[in-house]
Amino acid sequence: MGKFILRRLLLLIPIMLGLTVLVFLFIRLLPGDPAGAILGERATPEAVERVRTALGLDRPLIEQYWEYVSGLVRLDLGTSFITNRDVTDDFLQRFPATVELTAAAMIFALTLGIPLGMLTAKRRGSWLDSAGTVVSLIGISIPIFFLGLMLKFLFAIHWPILPDSGRIDLIEYAIPRVTNMMTVDAILAGEFGGFVDALRHLILPGIALGTIPLAIIMRITRASVIDVLNEDYVRTANAKGLASRVVDNRHVLRNALLPVVTVIGLQMGLLLGGAILTETIFGWGGVGKWIYDAVVNNDYQVIQSGVLVLAVIFVLVNLAVDVSYAFLNPRIRYS
Amino acid sequence: MRTWRWVSVLAVLVLVLAACGQQPAATPDEGSEPPASGSESEAPEPSASEDVDGGEPTAGGTLVFAGARLAASLDPALTSDGESFRILQQVYEPLVDLAPGTTDELVGVLAESWTGEPSDTEYVFTLREGVTFHDGTPLDAEAVKFNFDRMQNFSEEFQGDAYYYGALMDGFGAENLISSVEATDELEVTITLREPSPTFLFGITLTPFSIVSPAILESTNADDAATSTFGTDVVQGGTGPFVLDDYVPDDSATLSRNEDYWGDPALLDSLIIRPIADPAARLQALQGGSVQGFDLVNPSDYETVESEGFSLVERLSFNTLYLGLNPVARENAAAAESGVAEVYEGEESPLQDLAVRQAIEMAIDKEALIEPFYGGRGSVADTFMPPSSGWSDAILAGVEPAEFDAEGARQLLEDAGFNAENPATIHFWYPTEVTRPYMPDPRGLHEAITQMLEDVGFVVVPNSDIWDSPGYLFDAQNGFYDLHFLGWTGDYDDPSNWYGVHFGYAQGEPAAQFGCDVDGLEDAISAADAELDEAARGEAWAEVAGLIHENVCFVTLAHGDTALAFTDVVQGYEPNPTGSESFQSVWLSE
Repeated sequence: MGKFILRRLLLLIPIMLGLTVLVFLFIRLLPGDPAGAILGERATPEAVERVRTALGLDRPLIEQYWEYVSGLVRLDLGTSFITNRDVTDDFLQRFPATVELTAAAMIFALTLGIPLGMLTAKRRGSWLDSAGTVVSLIGISIPIFFLGLMLKFLFAIHWPILPDSGRIDLIEYAIPRVTNMMTVDAILAGEFGGFVDALRHLILPGIALGTIPLAIIMRITRASVIDVLNEDYVRTANAKGLASRVVDNRHVLRNALLPVVTVIGLQMGLLLGGAILTETIFGWGGVGKWIYDAVVNNDYQVIQSGVLVLAVIFVLVNLAVDVSYAFLNPRIRYS
Repeated sequence: MRTWRWVSVLAVLVLVLAACGQQPAATPDEGSEPPASGSESEAPEPSASEDVDGGEPTAGGTLVFAGARLAASLDPALTSDGESFRILQQVYEPLVDLAPGTTDELVGVLAESWTGEPSDTEYVFTLREGVTFHDGTPLDAEAVKFNFDRMQNFSEEFQGDAYYYGALMDGFGAENLISSVEATDELEVTITLREPSPTFLFGITLTPFSIVSPAILESTNADDAATSTFGTDVVQGGTGPFVLDDYVPDDSATLSRNEDYWGDPALLDSLIIRPIADPAARLQALQGGSVQGFDLVNPSDYETVESEGFSLVERLSFNTLYLGLNPVARENAAAAESGVAEVYEGEESPLQDLAVRQAIEMAIDKEALIEPFYGGRGSVADTFMPPSSGWSDAILAGVEPAEFDAEGARQLLEDAGFNAENPATIHFWYPTEVTRPYMPDPRGLHEAITQMLEDVGFVVVPNSDIWDSPGYLFDAQNGFYDLHFLGWTGDYDDPSNWYGVHFGYAQGEPAAQFGCDVDGLEDAISAADAELDEAARGEAWAEVAGLIHENVCFVTLAHGDTALAFTDVVQGYEPNPTGSESFQSVWLSE
């Protein structure tokens, strides 16, 4: 197992190198450059040239790339062209907000997706199954932007039972940002009311972000459970008179979860991507919105470092998923 | 069945959380009532002048306000956008400022009085006594000198961001406009200019010229690009009515009342500014009750805002949308080997004929643009100067606005030799991925004007490019486009910031954007810029404007008003066309 993890970690190096080249070149293919974003209407050709020189954008590409990669090796993600802020600081400040949102979405997707997948599989062919299929199809195809705005309209404006945006009621709770995860910070500050309020702020964005993963997880669970239900060992377990609950939990679910776990790992990418829209709609100051702004402003330094860090996180999450296979199915051996 | 239990438990949990500790979000009719102030500090007496519709002004409460973004930097000298100014001008103050609601009247802020006319090179500011920075250090002449010297000596790393200093003071370093800044007494600062600058006093009203505590600038290494924390950390370096308490990028800026303010203290206990980039989401936040006010209401939402019982606070525009015409665009594009040249296919531009340019101006029904694109709140632009400018009448005296006359335009085209067999073909560009207060819907505006031009016989080829340089802005400003949209939001109220910035000559060459080479224009601009007497200056710039409009170097189209929306408990907000607005007088009614 140790060897396996080490090998996967070493594999990160070529993956990262490839990614740096891709990200570096792609963003320079985007139309526009940071000088225009900085200067706006005032962009006289001379001013653009001056800013380009100041940012080093007039230097040969290979030189710019070398500076970028050597910075990465020193764990220096550079400074934003637009705000002059340290990219590492900015990332660390916003990432907890995204983690909190992503976790809420994942909890929503898992706690509903797996039971619903299991239920529809066991009632295969029933009206419940058909309804589940239709709902999951809608869930997969609904645009996050539309869903987010609708949820807000319904539950924050028409029936105002949940907050429309933000991460906590700023008037009511002045909670010091320690981790920048509002739920955690509220607990650290001993504010139970603040904790509940932070949870309430998580509901709508969590649902908006978690709906697509929910639908996918539900479909995969259903397919996987149907496969397992047809296995001999399940029939045997049923035949020897085990309680249905025991059969479901010990034999069906545990075996059916393997493909589900793989999908969960892959969903992390989708969640981080979806966070861009969700964070924009719900005024959530996370990494998604930060990178979106950077793309709009051609803030190369933020895009190339931010995307890379997210890619590393994505790869690590999937590594963790691979490792978790062994716990779900001890027959799996890593070599 | 167990799965059902799971689902029901989750559903119940969501409902409980939804109900838990929840006072329902305020509906506009009820208003949202902020909790009573928790601070032990004494609430200031509201000043009587603020007694407006909502009853007697009362102190206390917290206002949550949404802008599109937070500040680009917390160092005022390094900012140049309205969203940054919104936050920083609550905390930092300049020597002099525009009187509330005006664009051409000055009032002393940190300077109690000053001497110096537009024709002078020496300005003497007498500072207010007893003003302290938020860090407790006193404001004195040395502090003012420290700030001006700091800006003048900005290293290259900062010069790009210190746009306003560079633009208004002719660059940086010992050779710029400022000859010296001396502390001539404890509370007296003398600023000597190398030559008279009629816009100097207006220039220093801008937020980047705010005075910051020297102790804070030093302790945060503000002048060392590598180690400075001044632009990022929460510090107590201002003198303004609010103190910055907390700043979480992309999340919120929290300000609280400065209890030791030298003037009338702010009425709000605290002010929280949240960034919500999308105008529809800002409106939803107001409807949902998570904010009590927001800026830049979408013109198409004006009706919704008012019909739902919110108040719409309109801000007269300080901007202008124009249609740029360039008779030499095709030559420019070819000479620069720009990709734009390909669309022209080597054909000669009909815009070289003045009659064709006049036909374009006459073909456009400006009035018809105001209702659909500006929600009826903008105004027709007869000249470049918006109506909120103190110079608009003076400039208008030199300009004869063209009347909309489709028949006349058709006739002009025909007389110029263009007809159905030999149509005047023009390429018309609009920017994508951008909206501006003066340009809420570039594509829609493009379609509307294209239709007007086609109605009188032009053949219009539509083109577009992405806004950011070196896309649309670059090509437009280098003069590659026959016809293009662009606009301007004034930095300060002087025609030099409008006509001068756009049509000024450089080394004998007219501005590339318009290729507007009119006999006598260069001399007229130089003379107007040098004119120091106010009345004569107005006449001189009117002459410049006359030459430009007569030759149809551009067609000014519209001034787009902007608006803020508030719940009905928010009172006392004073809008200013320049966007320079203080929350000091804002209060919350019961």
